[in-house]
Amino acid sequence: MSVKTPSKLEKILAAGHQAVTSECGPPRGSDPEVIREKARLIRDHVDVVNITDNQTSVTRMCSLASCFHLKQMGVEPVLQMVTRDRNRIALQGDILGAASMDIHNILCLSGDHQSFGDCATGQNVHDLDSMQLIQTVRLMRDEGKFLGGGDISRPPEMFVGAAANPFAQPHKIRVPRLAKKIAAGVEFIQTQCIYNLDRFEEWLAEARDRGLTEKVYILAGVTPLKSVGMAKYMKNRVPGMDVPDEVVARMAGVPKEKQAEEGVTICVETIQRLKEVPGVAGFHVMAIEWEEKVPEIVERAGLYPRPAMP
Amino acid sequence: MKRLLPRVGVDPARVEMFNLSSAMGPRWAEICNEFTERIRQLGPSPIRAALGRGGKGGTAS
Amino acid sequence: MIVGKQKPIEETWAMVKDFSRVLVFGCNTCVAVCHEGGNKEAQILASLMRMKATQEGLSLEIRDSGIERQCEHEFFESAEKDIEWADAVLSLACGVGVQFMVKRYPEILVYPGLDTCFLGDVEKNGLFTESCQACGKCVLAETAGICPVSRCAKRVLNGPCGGSNKGACEINKDLPCAWQLIVDRLEALGRLADYERLAPIKDWSTERAGGPRKLIHEEFMK
Repeated sequence: MSVKTPSKLEKILAAGHQAVTSECGPPRGSDPEVIREKARLIRDHVDVVNITDNQTSVTRMCSLASCFHLKQMGVEPVLQMVTRDRNRIALQGDILGAASMDIHNILCLSGDHQSFGDCATGQNVHDLDSMQLIQTVRLMRDEGKFLGGGDISRPPEMFVGAAANPFAQPHKIRVPRLAKKIAAGVEFIQTQCIYNLDRFEEWLAEARDRGLTEKVYILAGVTPLKSVGMAKYMKNRVPGMDVPDEVVARMAGVPKEKQAEEGVTICVETIQRLKEVPGVAGFHVMAIEWEEKVPEIVERAGLYPRPAMP
Repeated sequence: MKRLLPRVGVDPARVEMFNLSSAMGPRWAEICNEFTERIRQLGPSPIRAALGRGGKGGTAS
Repeated sequence: MIVGKQKPIEETWAMVKDFSRVLVFGCNTCVAVCHEGGNKEAQILASLMRMKATQEGLSLEIRDSGIERQCEHEFFESAEKDIEWADAVLSLACGVGVQFMVKRYPEILVYPGLDTCFLGDVEKNGLFTESCQACGKCVLAETAGICPVSRCAKRVLNGPCGGSNKGACEINKDLPCAWQLIVDRLEALGRLADYERLAPIKDWSTERAGGPRKLIHEEFMK
């Protein structure tokens, strides 16, 4: 795949390296130091950092401003953008705003339903869905056009990503859905956290058989478990999450004070196994409010040092 | 009805529905006695009480 | 049909209790089917309000009446006297009926007795479910006859989103995921390949976003 944007993530992937990405959630306040501090913990161990967009529908500092703070400290951000809160005017406007700051990566999502957050009585927008947002960014970038047909002066140069969940139901359309996102124009995928490796490998094999791994970079999502409680919560309460009983049992099998360490080890082993699977273009390490563990995971998984890119 | 009455301050125990056939005379008498006793214990309804106070509202039509 | 739900009696009572002649006015079509606003419900509500009036020692007179549809001139004749008698009408119609009465009787105060909820069907006795949002540009031909605009909490046209969970929507386990239903039906019809057709960006100008809508048949306008 030839490089189409100045994105560091795209260059690393195109050079055949397995990329490492991570993510940070902005604070519930306006102090930029919070996001900078999270970025400092991981900056040397990952290639780019996703900034979530009002994740779980809880109001936070916006993704765009947080990306700007990262950019200023020399960390390359991935702007996450959900279609829940903005119509096509605002989405396109924010894409241009991000482009004006030379933000070169975007992750297109629909976003959690607002009923989970702190504004359950609010409206949701969903003027576009995530696939249509992918199409929109590609139109703006590749053709220099707005959805309304007008020309864009200095079009955005963004490497376009989306999420995929190999574990969600209905199972039968997991790979077709990936194909659909590729048809919409997606260039990289970050997956839902993987605990059921067999199921993930099955999904990837099916994607490979359809030639999809030649058309999109798939970054395998991993999240270290902090405790057996978290494992159970993920298993039972988080939609579309597949935590096999063996993983819960393994966490439960070690004393409480050793569970965090065990969680990190499971995460490292996951990466080590998936590194060898054809079609895995890299890893998305989501250490939820546990960013300080990212360096250890990346080092132990043998993904450190990170390649230097011009 | 039992769901609606409390909303206007009337005890839902003041209404009851029974399904009887015409051949069930003794049961009918029994129910009448039981229900009369229940209402006696509940005392006058708040509407009766209000009318007694001279409330003239709620002209039935 | 239009589905509505009676407002709490405390709320409607506060609207009407200071008038002297109140008419509780049923609408005996859509909102009668969902047992909330028909002529029978108008009778019951009027009677409850009379009990309230008596207990509060208020001297207002409350009557009930109703017609087949409050959204069309031709049905009003039989109730004309009742309406003219009243100085406030508590309409148990949907928002359409309430506003139609406001236009028809500019001198009478008309209050809404229902919260108008959605366009839905009678899935089974006592269960009414939303199935259309009148978006003005029907997509059912592309979605196996199941509407994602009204039945998906995010109205995604290329679903399911990541919140689809064991056939249910992430917001409520009793709510079926519209996209699960679409995929299942496509499969049952042997058309699962159609799933991969991308739904284009929707023109929402035919929906609420385009402002209040009108349908005109000049041949009937005399």
